[in-house]
Amino acid sequence: MTRPARAIAATAALTATALLATACGGGQEEAVAVDTSDWDAVLAQAEGQSVDWYMYGGDQRLNDFVNGEVADRLAELGVTLNQVKITDTAEAVNKVLGEQQAGRTSGGSVDAIWVNGENFATGVQADLWACGWTADLPNARYVDLDDPAVATDFGVPVQGCEAAWQQASSALVYDSAVLDEADVESVESLLEWAATDPGRFTHPAPPDFTGSMAVRTFLYDTLGADAVTAAAEGGGLADEDYEQARDETFARLLDASDDFWRGGETYPVSQEEVEKLYADGEISAFLTYGPGAVGSLVEDGVFPESTRTTVLSVGNISNVSFVGVPANAEDRAGAMVLADVLQDPEVQLGLYEATGIFPVVDLDTVDPALAERFAAVDAGPSVLSPEELTADALPELDSATLARIEDDWRAQVLRGTG
Amino acid sequence: MSRVRATTWRPGPRLRVVLLLTPALLVVGVFVVGGVLQAVLQSLGFAPVVGESQWTLDAYRRVVTDPVVHDSLLLTARVSVISTALAAVLGTALALLVRRLGGRRRLAALFHGTLAVPHLVGALAIGLLLSPSGLLSRAAYRLGLVDSVQDVPALTQDAFGWGIIAEYTWKETPFVAVVALAALSRRVSDLEDVASTLGATRWQRLREVTLPVLAPPVAAASVLVLAFVTASYEVPRLLGRPYPATLSVEAFQRYRDIDLTSRPEAMALAVVIALLTTLAALAYLRLVGGLTRRSL
Amino acid sequence: MTRSPWRGAAVAVVAVVTLLPMVPVVLWAVAGAWRYPDLLPPETSLRGLRLLAGDGVLGALGTSVLVSTSVALLACLVGLPAGRALGLHRFRGRRLVQFLLLAPIIVPPLAVTLGLQVFFVRYGLADTVGGVVLVQLVPTVPYAASLLAAAHADLDTDHERAARVLGAGPVRTLLHVSLPLLRPALVTAFLLTFLISWSEYVLTLLVGGGRVTTLPLLLFSAIESSDRTAAAALGLLVVLPPVLLVLALTRVAGRDVAWVGVSRA
Repeated sequence: MTRPARAIAATAALTATALLATACGGGQEEAVAVDTSDWDAVLAQAEGQSVDWYMYGGDQRLNDFVNGEVADRLAELGVTLNQVKITDTAEAVNKVLGEQQAGRTSGGSVDAIWVNGENFATGVQADLWACGWTADLPNARYVDLDDPAVATDFGVPVQGCEAAWQQASSALVYDSAVLDEADVESVESLLEWAATDPGRFTHPAPPDFTGSMAVRTFLYDTLGADAVTAAAEGGGLADEDYEQARDETFARLLDASDDFWRGGETYPVSQEEVEKLYADGEISAFLTYGPGAVGSLVEDGVFPESTRTTVLSVGNISNVSFVGVPANAEDRAGAMVLADVLQDPEVQLGLYEATGIFPVVDLDTVDPALAERFAAVDAGPSVLSPEELTADALPELDSATLARIEDDWRAQVLRGTG
Repeated sequence: MSRVRATTWRPGPRLRVVLLLTPALLVVGVFVVGGVLQAVLQSLGFAPVVGESQWTLDAYRRVVTDPVVHDSLLLTARVSVISTALAAVLGTALALLVRRLGGRRRLAALFHGTLAVPHLVGALAIGLLLSPSGLLSRAAYRLGLVDSVQDVPALTQDAFGWGIIAEYTWKETPFVAVVALAALSRRVSDLEDVASTLGATRWQRLREVTLPVLAPPVAAASVLVLAFVTASYEVPRLLGRPYPATLSVEAFQRYRDIDLTSRPEAMALAVVIALLTTLAALAYLRLVGGLTRRSL
Repeated sequence: MTRSPWRGAAVAVVAVVTLLPMVPVVLWAVAGAWRYPDLLPPETSLRGLRLLAGDGVLGALGTSVLVSTSVALLACLVGLPAGRALGLHRFRGRRLVQFLLLAPIIVPPLAVTLGLQVFFVRYGLADTVGGVVLVQLVPTVPYAASLLAAAHADLDTDHERAARVLGAGPVRTLLHVSLPLLRPALVTAFLLTFLISWSEYVLTLLVGGGRVTTLPLLLFSAIESSDRTAAAALGLLVVLPPVLLVLALTRVAGRDVAWVGVSRA
């Protein structure tokens, strides 16, 4: 070994030793318990806390609502809301997992996460969440906790580990100047239209949340609504059934995707990019989880006036999303107060008015005057009413199947043609 | 006062050097050497702080056999080599051109300004310029070159990586040009004058005098560009496709994957990137005969 | 130097190509609705510029200034003694030290930080401004040290010696003799490291965890969002300070290392 090389090796060894030595020191105490059965105590504990809420930050209207009305309501209770915008919920879960791995059992930096599906399931497997508190929220009386959509999250029992706060419903957004009603009848007619007018349809690549829904829409169309419902109720798809449906779906997609945007050779990274493509007139139809927001985009002149929303004959994919609180969170009491504020019917109405996001509160249980105001919200001519939209709502399959179809899509469709 | 100082303890010259260097070496030692070491250890299955360490080459095995990584490596190599070559050639040409042109100072200021543009802004700018609905496409439409946005060839999020290459070339060409211009001092002009007095043609002058003077600094600059471009994250992330992604994007994504077992793979990719850039640096050392002889 | 029309044209072409990518950024920043295929925005709007006065942007601006100033100060503090050792002293292992100090320019900080992140988390440095400042020393210290080493190599140490002979202590000599002589190099090193830090994205994201929101983080999510006007306006805010700084820097420094550093920013 030459002298410099030896010196480098020595420095490196020293550094590593120093890092290791410091790494082994100091254990940490468990996080202080929050007893949710005494709500006044929770409020007292929450006062003065600053809640870091990690949430997907791509929806400007939602951001405004969160930092406006929600933050104001929390401020009245002495809780500061700090919205941490992320592009993928997995980032937040990964962060908590990383803290757990690094031995931070208290004082965790993530107080609340807007979560559902596989991110929730991963957290459950890793024993990440604070559980058993959601039924204690005072406003939980407005939410039907026994409704399967709220009691289970993509097949995983919620067990009080996350509190529902909004409902996403899928729909197709299209430019009626380019597509007519027959084209948007079903998945089949949509694909036929794409073949005659190529390059005008796309969806984001999973693991984007909406991209994942788009791929599932095609999968469910192959399976048929009855099979999906049976699988959701019976605890999932058998392997061979899944594989058969997947192969059939992908064969169909690989065939049809030649006529997608960019010849199906690539897909946008995110739903925002898809909406930009639509606003620019590059594409004329896309699937969305936020049909309620389309009206205001048309009003602002971002989308053309001929924009319409509809539901394909396969039905609409609908799921509830939640607020999860990590067990190691620094400000858990504050995070639970946040979850409660979000379930307040007034806040739910404000959310619906401001962003078009559907409520999770059961309208039969809220004050009739308030229910009327829900019914009176006018989303504009481009948007279907919630009833029309969710008439053929499909349940979600388990999150394992969800993860599997995403991975398989990336391996077989994205890479297969890329 | 001076007497008091004179009697205070003063470190010897050797110790003084050590003390002077300690803070900087601490930063580099702990962060860079320590960081690389940690990346190597964690790629081999070391789980720091808590957890069971299991020493294994699995992460490397998975990375080496992963077709995703193959495509990523190919894209990374393509983008970085082409960007570097374009920046080197265009930068040198630009330096020579600017030297012959009037308005040298204004152009130099322009290059300096471009150097200061953060790559993130560069990515935004190139996106707004080259994307199918970007400014160039609008101009092409106005000129009647295309009938609809559908006809515009994809220059961002394209299969080849042209958008990424365009950003790097735009940002790095002025860098090479500035370095080359600094090398084209008065002394070079004198040498060229001597050469022409001796009857050298213009081409001979360029080949025998100017380019040999330019070669070392341009080579040095190019290898720094190559090292940077190989490992940069935000430009390929914003102007590239979801698949294939460059190595740095791939490493970052695996690090942030919800499945923590992907982390050793992220570390293995980080080690691969560090190796690649170090190889580039060694090429640099060979080309210019040692980093130490110049101020950099 | 002779001027001919085609030379003027060549200068113009170079200038246009160099400036062209910034044109759509400026246009989008002041554009109202601007749909394809309109070549120019049919209407201008102050919405983008007004967004810059919003709470989020002002907060990020403050964080950016705080982080970059701290990084620049610390990098100069660390780089000054190292530069002195390298510039004034010949010692065994000098080349190795120089090589080590240049390592962060070659070994990508991203690779390094991935390995260290778990320690940042463990010691409470993740998600803090302090952690972000620390990690940004990696790409900045090498430039501060190189610049200041070069300045020390050119330093006439006779002045220092004279001061010492005349009875000034080391601190007084440093404050009243050495630092004034090194001022141009220190200013350059400060501006340069400030700039590198100002543009840093991925290290801030990794260590800051989305909670230390600097301007580049805001800009990145704006570019990803569907609001091009917001992205362009933010882009202008991010690009102006470094460009102005560098144009100022042109006057105080001409060293290669400064330009290498600037282009890494």
